[in-house]
Amino acid sequence: MIAVVTGSARGIGRSIENRLRADGYTVIGADLASGIDISTVEGRSKVKKLVAGQPLQVLVNNAGITRDARLVKMSNEEFGAVLEVNLGAAYQLTRELLPLMETGSIVNISSRAYLGNFGQFNYSMSKGGLVGLTRALALRLAPQVTVNAIAPGLIGTEMSEAIPDDLKNKMIASIPAGRMGEPEEVAELVSFLCSERARYLTGEVIVLGGGRSLAR
Amino acid sequence: MKVFTVPAVDEGWDSVSEVLTQCFHFTQSAALAGEHVVYVVHNDDLLGRRGAGAAMVACGLLSAARSAALEGVKNGWRINVLAIEDNTEPGLLEAWLDVPHRTGGPTGELVHLGPSHLGKALP
Repeated sequence: MIAVVTGSARGIGRSIENRLRADGYTVIGADLASGIDISTVEGRSKVKKLVAGQPLQVLVNNAGITRDARLVKMSNEEFGAVLEVNLGAAYQLTRELLPLMETGSIVNISSRAYLGNFGQFNYSMSKGGLVGLTRALALRLAPQVTVNAIAPGLIGTEMSEAIPDDLKNKMIASIPAGRMGEPEEVAELVSFLCSERARYLTGEVIVLGGGRSLAR
Repeated sequence: MKVFTVPAVDEGWDSVSEVLTQCFHFTQSAALAGEHVVYVVHNDDLLGRRGAGAAMVACGLLSAARSAALEGVKNGWRINVLAIEDNTEPGLLEAWLDVPHRTGGPTGELVHLGPSHLGKALP
């Protein structure tokens, strides 16, 4: 069983890769650290070559970046970079890998920011775009391939470590669960969505945020 | 008030990227000028019924509007999304364009101008 996971070198992506390996998949990690830039034609070709005509069962579009700024101060570069990596690369890679996928699952790692987040016009747009992609593909690929999105909230990764402590503590205080999520919790949900137990589940966005979407 | 109506989008990434980038520039200019914004999308696209390109644009705009709305709260700048259907009367759309931006109106909100969203997924 072959799985492709983008952005697999660290954080959520690394946990997903580890979990899918434990589930018995041969995982192709596509990440800058392994010399694969999926935002380029060459990078996507490398992934296709690594799959090498074997049937692909799982694709996890996880690679993402942030370039936060208020809308009125956001530069073209900040907007474009986030859009290209978070949405453009995921969409183009998916289109190119679909012919290799007869049955299986696609999981798009969106973000709770698709519901809106201050200073993240670009990021929200890209993650909302992934939700749209999820819905369209779910309709198009049913019943052979399930397509779902996960919208994680604050997760303990290198990305969240960059948040200043006082701000991070404020954010945690607004999470009913009282803590950040763990990358392994996202990976667990990916594992379920890719399993036989989830064959009736498609086109959904699952918010994994400790209840943050409900709290003030 | 400025209105951004989603143009035709095909399945190519260049087409999607072009519209999303136009929307960014449009919204940024309006925000800088203090003009309220309305996005007009199609309900079928919010649910992914007319292809991936159109779905990415419609859902991307809705999410972006929510983030922009958060930034505008302090100074009273508002942005909302209207979802039309194939048979939405132009007069109905015209009548609704201004509604969210009356004093005290909503922001970051999605308004469906028709019933086709009922019983379906919440975008």
